[in-house]
Formats: sequence, structure tokens, C-alpha cells
Amino acid sequence: MIKISGVSKAYGNKIKVLDNVDLTIKPGEFVSIVGQSGAGKTTLVRLLIGEEWADEGRVMVGDWDITKISKREVPFLRRQIGVIFQDFKLLPKKTLEENVSFALEVSGGAPEKIKKIVPSVLKIVGLEDKKRRYPHEVSGGEKQRAAIARALVHQPKILLADEPTGNLDAINAQEIIDLLLRINKFGTTVILVTHNKEVVNRLNKRVITMDQGLVISDQERGKYIL
Amino acid sequence: MLSLYRIIKFSFQDIVRNGWLTVATITILLLALFSINTLVTVRLISDSAVAAIKEKIDISLYLKPETPESEIMALKAKLTNSDKIKSVTYVSKASALESFRVRYQNNQEILAALKELGRNPLSPNLTIIPKDFNEADLLINELKMIDNPIIESRDFTDNSIILAKINNVTARVNEVGLFIISIFILISLLVVYNTIRVAIYTHRQEIEIMRLVGASHTFIYMPYLFSAFIYSLLSVLIIISVFYPFLTILQPYLEVFFMGYNVNILAYFVDNFLFIFGLQFLVVLVINALASLFAVRKYARI
Repeated sequence: MIKISGVSKAYGNKIKVLDNVDLTIKPGEFVSIVGQSGAGKTTLVRLLIGEEWADEGRVMVGDWDITKISKREVPFLRRQIGVIFQDFKLLPKKTLEENVSFALEVSGGAPEKIKKIVPSVLKIVGLEDKKRRYPHEVSGGEKQRAAIARALVHQPKILLADEPTGNLDAINAQEIIDLLLRINKFGTTVILVTHNKEVVNRLNKRVITMDQGLVISDQERGKYIL
Repeated sequence: MLSLYRIIKFSFQDIVRNGWLTVATITILLLALFSINTLVTVRLISDSAVAAIKEKIDISLYLKPETPESEIMALKAKLTNSDKIKSVTYVSKASALESFRVRYQNNQEILAALKELGRNPLSPNLTIIPKDFNEADLLINELKMIDNPIIESRDFTDNSIILAKINNVTARVNEVGLFIISIFILISLLVVYNTIRVAIYTHRQEIEIMRLVGASHTFIYMPYLFSAFIYSLLSVLIIISVFYPFLTILQPYLEVFFMGYNVNILAYFVDNFLFIFGLQFLVVLVINALASLFAVRKYARI
């Protein structure tokens, strides 16, 4: 469970990008966080992965208060929360398979574990036939699939997707959303940050709407209202 | 052990897959090292040249012509015991005349005057070479204090002036040389530091990804530090393999130029191999490692 209580964040003591945000996300939920640029969505994601620290309030991931997390603990937090981005963030000089296994290798995963997990996550995202290709040799949708596979190797309880369809055409975008839904069905909490109206409306899942750092709407089966 | 293996693996993967960047980085290191070694060589040659000139300066004690050889030998033995004297050579009247004739073999007037004289007008002498030319003044003072009736004359004025001039020039050359070498080393180190920073700048995306997938701080830093070690080692090994043939080619020319003097740059580099190249390796490694640490720290925001 993620519990965000009274969280505020400002840059340079001027503009508040998050203003007293309260949110609770239950395990296994599929939540879309929507809002226009500058609404505070990405800052919220950055707080959840320990990229930023809240000025006020508390962020709990399970029983872990990550507002008090030390820099040394950040890598451990990031192994608990999978994250994907609009620009995929794949290493161009590594194959898709190497990109996926890299996440386990740099966190000290045993070779046996890597041999077992990497093929299985590549199969989940449908890339087992293209695992030896480099990122520049595959489509945008396939790059995002590889990024999702990499996010899954730590078997995270939470998957954060920050504008995952931003660089994709409608067909590839829908395939990625379908993949996220499938992952959610396995029990993983999925937090989708987007401003893609069509995707959100088709999902018919919980929608949290943000505007100027405030949560202005939280609907159980919501629509994109901005 | 597994972590070490992976650190080395990532480092080598990076070196090989970013081949051009590796070549560019090592080339900059090589240019810096070659420049520094060339400056060291020039400094050695100038030092050798000054030492060779100094070796030609000797101090002579002129003795009375009728002095028995036993007394001369006794004075020679006494001088040889001095800790400021490297060697003392006895030049007899006959030897002095022979040297005089050889020196002026093309000057018929002098030779005719000598013949006219009908006797050997030269005095025997003791030719003294100082141990340390920087202390030649002290030695001259010491020689002036010797109270021995067989000594006919001891005019050291010319030698003192020459020595003072040489010491002055040497001191200036050393000062300027040291300044130029220091500036050059500083520039080289800054270039190397910046090259490594640029190399790591191109890896900023990789560093960001490592952070996002939960790599430990050690895993983020270590492959770059290991790469810095490899760059330093390769550049020093290459400079050794380039510089020794260069010295081998240069040495015969130096021998011709300094004919009659012992100037052997190649032997100096061989004798001081560990000091010269070990120090260069350590300095390059430290600079590379520091640049890597600062650059990774910047992009990893650790």
C-alpha cells in the first residue's frame, strides 16, 4: 500500500509543485494519475522512487517511510518499485536481453536467478524472439516492452509508468496499456501517469486528477475530466 | 567475487563497445605522456651538456721546475685525500711540453719561439678535478691555504669566473626548465582530467539508468574507476613501447653531438624505468580516478 499524507514540495521556495497532497493506493490497484503539464504528476513519481524528497508530509510504501530514507537505501527502494518512462531509458550499446539482465546484475542478482527470470519476463512482454537486438533495431513499442521487462525483473509490488505511451502511436500505445493491465492482473499495483485522454477513458479504472499541485478529483471508475 | 567479475565485465564491455571514445581518450593520454617524457629528455640532455662542460674545467697547481718527483707525489697524495677532489693528475715538464706542442701545432710563430728558447720553459703541474663543481669555490679557497714551497703559482681567477658563469646559467636553465615542465604537466593533467570528464559525460544516460534500476553506489562507480585503471595502464604501456624506440633512434645522434662525453639518455631511462614510468602511471591513474569520481558523482547525484 502507498500512503501519501500532507505532502508538499516546492522548488526554490517559490512555486509549490505539490500542495498538501493526500492519497492512498491499495495493493493490486490500477490507478491513473492525470493532469496537464506542471500539475505535479512527475514530481509525485520522483518522490515515490526517491529522486526527490518532500518538503512536508510523509510518503509510506508498505511500512517503509521513504521520506526519511537515506541515500544508501535508495537503491533498495528502487528494486521494490519498477518504473518505466516515456523515453524508455534503454542502454543503446546493450541488447534488449542485456538491458533486462543489467538491472539484476547491478543489484547483485545471482547468475541462476538471472538465467531464470530474464527469459520469463521477456516472454511476458513478448520479446523472446528479439532479445538479441539492440534498441535502435526495434520499434518504439518494443523498446517500451523491453523497459517494462526490465522493470519487472525485481518482481516489484508496484509498477510506476510515467507517460509510457507518450512516444508511441495509437496501436503500440494500446498494446502497452494491455500489457500493463495484464501485469496488474498478476497482482502488481500499477500507477499510470498520463495525459492521454483516450487511454484513460477506455481503462475505466480509478483516476486521480491533479492541477497545480493539488488533487482535484479522485474517482473510483473515472474519466479524464480536464 | 561475483560483483568484481561484473564490474570488470561492464568495464571491458564499455571500453570495447565505445571503441572510438576509448581510442580518443587514450590518444589524449598518450599525447600528454609523450610531451612530458620529451620534456624530461630535453632536461636530461641539457643537464648532460652542462655536466660535460664542467668536466672540462680543471684547476691546476703549477710547481717549481726543479722539484723532485717524490715531493710532487707527496703533495698529490695529500690532495687526493681531500673530500672535495675527484682526481689529481700529475703532468710532468715533458708531458706539459708535449701537450703545448700539440695544442699549438698550427702556430708556427709560437713553435719557433719555443725552439729559439732552447729549453723547456714549462713547469710541471697537478691537474685537479673537483668532486662537485658547485663547491669549486670552496676547493679553490682550500688550495690557496696550502703552504708548500714547491708550489710556484696558483692563479685560479679564470676558472672561478667560468665556473660562476656556468653555475649561473645552470641555475637559470633549471629554474626556467622547471617552470616550463611544471606548466606543461599542469596543462597535461587538466587536459587528461577534462578528457575523462567528457568520456563520462557521454555515459550520463547509462549512469542515470543504473540509478533507476537500483544499482548500488559501488556498482555505479567501480566500472568507471576500473576503466580509468585500464586507460592509465594502456597509455603508459603504449608510451613505453613508443618512447624506447624513439630514444634508441635519438641516442646515436646524441653520442655524435656529445663526442668524448658520457651522455646516455637511453641508459638513464632503463636505469630509472620504475621511477619514471611507475610515477607517470600513478599520476595518470590518480587524475583519471579523481576525474571519474567527480564526473560520476555529478551525473549520479550521489
